[in-house]
Amino acid sequence: MYRMWGRLALVLLLPMSAAAQSASTNEREQEMQEMRARIEKLEKLVAELQKEKESKNGVATGPVGSEPLPPPSTPAAPAAQPEGTVASMDHSGGQGANAAERKFPALHFRGFGDVDFAATDDKTTHSGFNMGQFILHISSPLSEKVSVFGETSFTAQTTPTATVYNVDVERLLIRYDYNDFFKLSFGRYHTPINYWNTAFHHGLWLQTTIARPEMIRFGGRFQPVHFVGMQAEGNIPSGPLGLGYTAGLGNGRSGNIARPGDGGDVNNNRAWFANLFARPAALNGLQVGGALYGDLASPSPALTGNPQFRELIMSAHVVWTKETPEFLAEFAHVRHRNTVTQQEFNSSSAYAQVAYRLPGVARKWKPYYRFEWSNINPSDPLFSVGAAFQPAPVVNDLTGSTVGVRYDITNFAAFKGEYRHTARRATDPVVNGFFLQTCFTF
Amino acid sequence: MRTHLKLRICLVLGCLVVFSLISFRTAGTPADTDVAIVVNSANPVSNLTLSELRKIYFGDRQYWKGNLPVLVLMRSRGAHEREVVLRVVFEMTEERYTKYWVAKVMRAEVSDPPASLYSFGMLQEGVRGNPGAIGYVNVNDVRPGIKILRIDGLLPGESGYPLR
Repeated sequence: MYRMWGRLALVLLLPMSAAAQSASTNEREQEMQEMRARIEKLEKLVAELQKEKESKNGVATGPVGSEPLPPPSTPAAPAAQPEGTVASMDHSGGQGANAAERKFPALHFRGFGDVDFAATDDKTTHSGFNMGQFILHISSPLSEKVSVFGETSFTAQTTPTATVYNVDVERLLIRYDYNDFFKLSFGRYHTPINYWNTAFHHGLWLQTTIARPEMIRFGGRFQPVHFVGMQAEGNIPSGPLGLGYTAGLGNGRSGNIARPGDGGDVNNNRAWFANLFARPAALNGLQVGGALYGDLASPSPALTGNPQFRELIMSAHVVWTKETPEFLAEFAHVRHRNTVTQQEFNSSSAYAQVAYRLPGVARKWKPYYRFEWSNINPSDPLFSVGAAFQPAPVVNDLTGSTVGVRYDITNFAAFKGEYRHTARRATDPVVNGFFLQTCFTF
Repeated sequence: MRTHLKLRICLVLGCLVVFSLISFRTAGTPADTDVAIVVNSANPVSNLTLSELRKIYFGDRQYWKGNLPVLVLMRSRGAHEREVVLRVVFEMTEERYTKYWVAKVMRAEVSDPPASLYSFGMLQEGVRGNPGAIGYVNVNDVRPGIKILRIDGLLPGESGYPLR
């Protein structure tokens, strides 16, 4: 009997709660209407004051009819307001127009930072905290068609005697927009032959995981992370395919192949790249693309026999940028040809990462998994010689898995925790590690 | 036993009917909630597909024909019209939207995110005062002097109009 009463009470309560909800919706709607009415009233008041000011100054106020009317082809504005309201809108001092107007030159700052903790069973490293990078990003529209972008990093580095902060100009470029199909820029870029490299840059808050994939790690040698030169980019008229391109010419790799030629090229051969991608209109969030990169690498200090290496990198990516799920996969193949002996060295690397933003109350949580694989030719001098390219590490085979979770504390800060299992060459020990990071933007 | 079962079914159905009635009463008619995409009356464009609108709002198309720069205007957080545009055009939450523009500026694809305006009056003045501007406003709040765009050939209030 009590069960029956309980059920009846539940059944009665459900519609009541729904009605309460509906009442709150109505209240909100009413509040909104009241707020709209207040805004209208304020706008009228501003218009009247403006009118009064203008008449005091002896400036003639234009009649309502002087406002440009919609052309005949324009659909009639439904539910047009009485003329008085229109007049108030017309003469309210153009606050909206001013607020919407872009100012030149303007300067926008954004910062990124992270603090990390690492503990692994690798006997050659110590566990502990470390400061990540402190990034300052600036963007400045100089006119409607000219913009400047800059990015500076401060990175903690421990030398045998002290801890210093290494300051680096990560990017600095000026871009001239002709139209959507052709934009030309000059400066220092993140080489756009790798999706991760251009999508997340140094802003660790932007990426889901703690670390970048091995194939595009900062200070790594497998692919050039930075590029100094010029770049053309734009859309390709392709309707629903949504094609776009980026192509560039520049200095390519420096004597230390992990660095770009900021201060000048090390040879008379320019590096080049071409990148083609599609963002199909029917699948909002999908991007598919591929890129080619060519260069002549002239290692310095010179290797035995003073060889140079023709480099050709081919890469491809498929990404789904929505978070339910998020999917990133990239592949890159690097070919080096010794110009003295004509010997070729081929190496490949790939990763696939999947993440999922949990629904409802758990939406701040985003678990993820990444698998990485690299097959490096151990005879390739550019990847295997250690001393010449310090501090860039030797590039080795890799099979690795990363499992972790991201928790967004606010819209602009996150915690990440991940476990990594990394196996390299057969002779190297398997490394397991636990990593924590808090990253933010401001 | 059977009577109990029938009673339960009746009660569940009753609840569903009550819910439906409440929802119907509060939902309003589609024309009331439609969001109009508006441009400056000098803009020769009168129709956009939803995917073209997406490209504009995503910052992937930054120029009108004739190389006039597009000025994308958004309403401030909390406005119903913004919720509709985020849901239908961006297919994003507020959090994702914020992140999207931080990343877009960081990638040097745009130099600043769209301006967010507090009132529909300000937004309409913004559209009227800037030849390349595009914005959105509740269809009932549209004033003369700006042009409503057809989306996929449809005007607000017409059956199948996507922004509602």
